[in-house]
Amino acid sequence: MAAVLLRAVPWPAVSGITAVAVVTGAGGFAWPGGAQILLPIAFALLAGAAAFVLDEPASAVVDVTPTGRVRRTAVRALALLVPLGAGTALVLAGALRAAELPWPTVGLALAGSVLLGFAIACVLRQHVGEPGTQASAAAAFVLIAPGFLPFVAGWVQTFPAAGPAPRGLSSTTFWWLAGTACLAAIAASVPEFRRRRSP
Amino acid sequence: MTETIAARRTTAPESGLGPLTPLAWRETRRYVRNPVFLAGVVFTAFAVKSWHAGAVQEIGTLSAYPAIFLGGFGMIAACWLTQSTRRSAEALDVTPTTPQARTAALCAVAIVPFLLGCLSLLLFVRIQPLDGVWRYGAFSPSDRMAVLLSQLVVPTLGGPLLGIALARWVRFPGTAIVAFLFLYGWVSLITILAWNHANSVPFVMLRFFAPFTFFTLTDGPYNVDTWRGSPWFFVGWQLGLCAVAVTVALLRGADGRRQRRLIRALVAVAAVTALMYALTVTGGWDHPVVSHLGQAPVPIGHSPHPTNR
Repeated sequence: MAAVLLRAVPWPAVSGITAVAVVTGAGGFAWPGGAQILLPIAFALLAGAAAFVLDEPASAVVDVTPTGRVRRTAVRALALLVPLGAGTALVLAGALRAAELPWPTVGLALAGSVLLGFAIACVLRQHVGEPGTQASAAAAFVLIAPGFLPFVAGWVQTFPAAGPAPRGLSSTTFWWLAGTACLAAIAASVPEFRRRRSP
Repeated sequence: MTETIAARRTTAPESGLGPLTPLAWRETRRYVRNPVFLAGVVFTAFAVKSWHAGAVQEIGTLSAYPAIFLGGFGMIAACWLTQSTRRSAEALDVTPTTPQARTAALCAVAIVPFLLGCLSLLLFVRIQPLDGVWRYGAFSPSDRMAVLLSQLVVPTLGGPLLGIALARWVRFPGTAIVAFLFLYGWVSLITILAWNHANSVPFVMLRFFAPFTFFTLTDGPYNVDTWRGSPWFFVGWQLGLCAVAVTVALLRGADGRRQRRLIRALVAVAAVTALMYALTVTGGWDHPVVSHLGQAPVPIGHSPHPTNR
């Protein structure tokens, strides 16, 4: 059953965007200082790939089948291993090349980014069958906004900085808070969970 | 009825872009209601509002906002708008409009962000306080205007056109966001590389191989680096890229004589664009210089004032 459900995952989108993310992230190691610029963009792409995992062109039919949303979401979440695995490979490669970044925190940012893309997709999936396009844009915007909005950068960091601790909410604190919010959003987006909670 | 539609379908191409105006109007109304485009407009307005805050230290950090929000977000919105027409392709294919007329109507929506980019330029020139024109680097007044045009105005036209061309040819669902992130990463990376290798011809070539670039950088207190390259020819390169995007978008679905004409036009436009690129790289200062308040520009490395290098 899981294999059938996994077959429905839009693999070209997930693996294609993941491949672009790997190339982008690897490019960051080619030049000094490049990792600090390109790794956040690679993570935004990985979040975008995670956002496509729930896309279901035949949602009108699939949503009324006996297979519950919990099961479908749980099985499709296995596809997150693709962006997560590729991102882990990038983080390990960076750590081995001794680029000046706090790699455990970078790992946390990676997990948080993938979870964020998936959580936004889960929330949007309640309303549309193919939330990937919109969810990937939303996740990418959240992740790279500090890069081009200085007032956001002074308020929160979504990617750990190499130098001294910046102003505002640190990347670690942000991702623990955002990760918790994402898990809550995923749980709230599944109808079966909501029904169990209600009397 | 089928015969009537078929007859109109075959005769319509000869009438050129007849129904273009109502189509363009309809697409423009759809475009301006797109939430991504609206978000871009709001963020640009917010950025423009912040221009009042005080004398600017780094022009590039301000001029990039319309390029990101109107150009980048506009590209995503235009790409989604074009992709949305694909879902109703079967119905559209039997209407008496050619694919080229529909594409041209889509391209017309780029006028909206372009006008907003022009407004941003006007506001920037009118309201942004500068503590001297030396903040623009060692450029003539004409070149200064070219720098602002290339950073504030032309990307707002090119972004949506690129989005339409991509959506016409690429069926990949995440095209818009991948293109946006790729361009954002590319411009960020080449800016860092240009700062590290300001006098290297290959890196100058890399810096201009983009739809947006910086020409100056504040380098230490009261120092402004002016990099190599001609701002006016860069505007020409950007406009050439816009023309390439429109021609490539129009090529989709073209056949017969129209396809041959479009291919000839594409070759001509690409040749002019390549020429503009070559002139951009070879024009301007033949070495990067640093300007200081009230002093003549000197080559980078010869400044008597402390820099960040």
